Amino acid sequence: MSSAPRGQHPRFFQLPWRSRSRIARDVDAELSFHLEMRVSELTAKGVGAEEAAQRAREEFGDLERTRTYCRDLDTRADSETRLADRVAEWRQDVRYALRTMRRSPGFAIVSLITLALAIGANTAVFSVARAVLVAPLPFGKPGSLVALYENQKQNPTERYPFAPANFVDYRAQQHTLTDIAAYRPLGSITWLPDHGDAEIIGGLIATPNLFSVLQTRALYGRTFTSDDERPDAAPVVIVSYHFWQRALGGDLHVIGQSLMLNGHANQLVGVMPPGFTLGFSEDVWMPYDVNDDMQDAVRARKQHYLKAVARLRPGVTIDAARADLATIASRLETQYPEANKARSAAVLPLRESMAGDVRTSILLLQAAAGLVLLIACANLANLTLSRTIGRRRELALRAAIGAGRARLTRQLLTESLLLALAGGAIGVGLAMLLTPTLLALNPDTLPSMFAVRIDKSVLLFSLAMSVLTGLLFGFIPALDAGRANLHGALKEGGRGSTGGSRGERVRRTLVVAQVSLAVVLLIGAGLLTRSFDQLTRVNMGFDPAHVLTAQLRASGARYDSSDAVNQFYDAVLTDLAHTPGVLAAGATNVIPTQGRMGTALRIEGEPVDETNLPDFGYVSVRGGYFEALHVPILSGREYDASDKPDGEKHVIINNAAARRFFPKGDAVGRRIQIGPNPSATWMTIIGIAGDIRDEGLAVPAKPMMYANHAQEAWERSLSVVIRTSGDPLSAATALRNAVKATDPTLAVRDIRSLDDVVGSSLAARRFSLGLAFSFAVVALILAAVGVYGVLAFSVTSRAKEFGLRLALGATARAVLLLVVREGLTWATLGLVVGVAGAVAAARMLAGMLFGISPLDASTYVAVAFGLLVVVLAACLVPAVRATRVDPLTSMQAE
Amino acid sequence: MPRTPSELLQGTVDILLLRALAGEAMHGYAIARWLDARSDGVLSIDGAALYQALHRLEHRKWISATWGLSENNRKAKFYTLTAAGRTQLRAESAVWKSYAEAVFKVLRPA
Repeated sequence: MSSAPRGQHPRFFQLPWRSRSRIARDVDAELSFHLEMRVSELTAKGVGAEEAAQRAREEFGDLERTRTYCRDLDTRADSETRLADRVAEWRQDVRYALRTMRRSPGFAIVSLITLALAIGANTAVFSVARAVLVAPLPFGKPGSLVALYENQKQNPTERYPFAPANFVDYRAQQHTLTDIAAYRPLGSITWLPDHGDAEIIGGLIATPNLFSVLQTRALYGRTFTSDDERPDAAPVVIVSYHFWQRALGGDLHVIGQSLMLNGHANQLVGVMPPGFTLGFSEDVWMPYDVNDDMQDAVRARKQHYLKAVARLRPGVTIDAARADLATIASRLETQYPEANKARSAAVLPLRESMAGDVRTSILLLQAAAGLVLLIACANLANLTLSRTIGRRRELALRAAIGAGRARLTRQLLTESLLLALAGGAIGVGLAMLLTPTLLALNPDTLPSMFAVRIDKSVLLFSLAMSVLTGLLFGFIPALDAGRANLHGALKEGGRGSTGGSRGERVRRTLVVAQVSLAVVLLIGAGLLTRSFDQLTRVNMGFDPAHVLTAQLRASGARYDSSDAVNQFYDAVLTDLAHTPGVLAAGATNVIPTQGRMGTALRIEGEPVDETNLPDFGYVSVRGGYFEALHVPILSGREYDASDKPDGEKHVIINNAAARRFFPKGDAVGRRIQIGPNPSATWMTIIGIAGDIRDEGLAVPAKPMMYANHAQEAWERSLSVVIRTSGDPLSAATALRNAVKATDPTLAVRDIRSLDDVVGSSLAARRFSLGLAFSFAVVALILAAVGVYGVLAFSVTSRAKEFGLRLALGATARAVLLLVVREGLTWATLGLVVGVAGAVAAARMLAGMLFGISPLDASTYVAVAFGLLVVVLAACLVPAVRATRVDPLTSMQAE
Repeated sequence: MPRTPSELLQGTVDILLLRALAGEAMHGYAIARWLDARSDGVLSIDGAALYQALHRLEHRKWISATWGLSENNRKAKFYTLTAAGRTQLRAESAVWKSYAEAVFKVLRPA
């Protein structure tokens, strides 16, 4: 049985993987060997050659079938092995990468922190961006919903609500929309529960078709029907899920019962699903009959207070709807020139309209986070590159024992990818932890219909981002290692090589890129900081410190007369004014910085253009309002008891109005008329008050008037402003008692200090500034670390050169300067590129800036200076180390 | 008349081949000769069945193949039993043995 191959062991000359043709040849060789053996056996027995061949074939059986069978099987086996080998290799790569990282934990930790910060920041911002820009609004088929506004042809970006009569006409004449719904937030509604104290809640009135336009059904019960609009219909109300849970105990039996709202019983007919809101954090919705507002012809067409939402008909584009409404607009202009001169209508995707300014901030923040990620990538690429060069010897060894170039490249990419994935996982964890906290700390930042969640798509985004990051920062080093001359590295003993001038160039370019990206971020954050600073220094014209504000409403049928309203507020404010610790107590319909109501103005004795009346701010005040807010009366007097409700109408205007409309300084004593109605009562100006920033800190004061609420008591809902000697919140109890003593069925809502109210008007700004600022700081640190890392590496690898210089008599100072100059050169280069980039990018910021230009020189100079200082600091350690090189050891080391 | 090889059950061919390789590495022709000699010419196997079985067994990783030189200095493919193949042989032999004994018992004249 001597069939064993010669030599005890078979010789190996089979390659690990065979090509398809190789497999075919092998099978052929094996089979023909068998046949030849049989033939030679037969011929040895004396059979003729031809006959032997014939018999061998016959004995064999189906040769062709066997051939195909074996080839197919072998090919299949081969590809299976190939796959298994790949998997095994990959697992080996991972194991090896983990071992390498354990061996240099410093590198791993720095990389992980960098990645976690960068990917965490991107994940957090993306989760918000997705909610605001992409995630579906809480309505059915939100893609075809649009918001409608009226606007002015000359100034189409300024949008304002519809006048009721115009709304009715647009609704009837349009043919591109399935329907238009109108709604209007109600400032405050007093809800008197069966048990317990009254409470002020928020709500909307809406045309009954609102819910059908939004295609949203009630969670329980029903939404409005057109019957609810009829004048004789019983009043109904729909409540939000949140209100139903919080105030009604989530009890289904409340459906069909009645809620006492503003002193009237409204039958509760439905509960909306959680998250349904039009952005006013509203608790209840009540039907609105637009015909109620059509009675007064002036009011109907000239007062604009209806917000409108509509749904595009299937297949209709937004442009078609715009054209449709424009046609109606010009028809209405011709029909009612006095009210509708130069008016048109704007159509906006509902999401865009609701996201508003937030959209810009978020896009900017996303861009900033992206820059941070790029900087992190550059940093890690550099770090990895330096480390790869440090690992030359090890890589050369692996190449020497048979690892191919591709394999080495893949090995290094595996390491980068693993790092990126781990860093990404930590980053996502950070984002999950921090995003809700950050948003909860800044509740006024986001409109309430945008629910921020870290869900599957956000996680997918982060995963993709991690992989991309890993590839991005791993690619250059991996390619470099694959290309390196490994024989040389082995011979050199892995020292002295700096990776050649090409590697050096790549590293420098990366550092310059890093610095320039950081400069862009720093300048952006610097501009936002400067503008925020300007904003907080703005002279608001009033003093919010030590002032308490709260909302009151005189609601119920007994307050249908102005006298009753006056009595109520007089009683409360007098009671408060006599409370120890209260210095002054007044009330207003709009707290400063919380927005602006506008009306039209006519001045007695001046020409009037009825189609273009000047816009005039309207605020109604009573009691010690000016004293409580420390708003000075510049001339004339403030309201006092002599201004009887039924006496001559008096008015106080602000300084801006006095200067604009009465430039001769003769305002006091003149008479004005307000509102769209030309036959309105004339009012005499009795005083001029100092300007205050009533619309918001960023908006300069515009002409406005302070009406005397005692004379115009149609507004039942007011905010009190109470100046105290100490902590404003200490007056809260006194306020509650005063209200309860006057009318126990009324409620107090939103007790806050005025500082808090003013602060919240800055909340969104402060929030995005805080984020942008932290991104910039991270970027600066990363850039500094980048400069440090590359310099430190360069010093180590050039130890011989520095040793030689020192040995030849160079002073330590000269060597120090040599290194520092190198670092500063990169920084300066980066600075120049970065400033150029910032100049280009700052234009996008222009809309968010206040009081400074996007090219604010002091910001640019401060950033440049700060950056150079930080880079200098980063240069110092490596530079000092260069001066300490011992000439002897450095030269022996090679 | 001895049975013709084509009638051998596939499972039977597999176990016979594994047994053939239990000793030393062999090429296909040698395996056929060994089987022929060992069974006194009763269990001869044709080339087609032999090579299909060998490649099947190799795919299952019960045997492994290497190229080597034959006794007459020709390039030939040699098969060896792997550890898995040895385990398989042991298990299959036990099954076969009890099966064959059972058949014998039944066939024994009463």
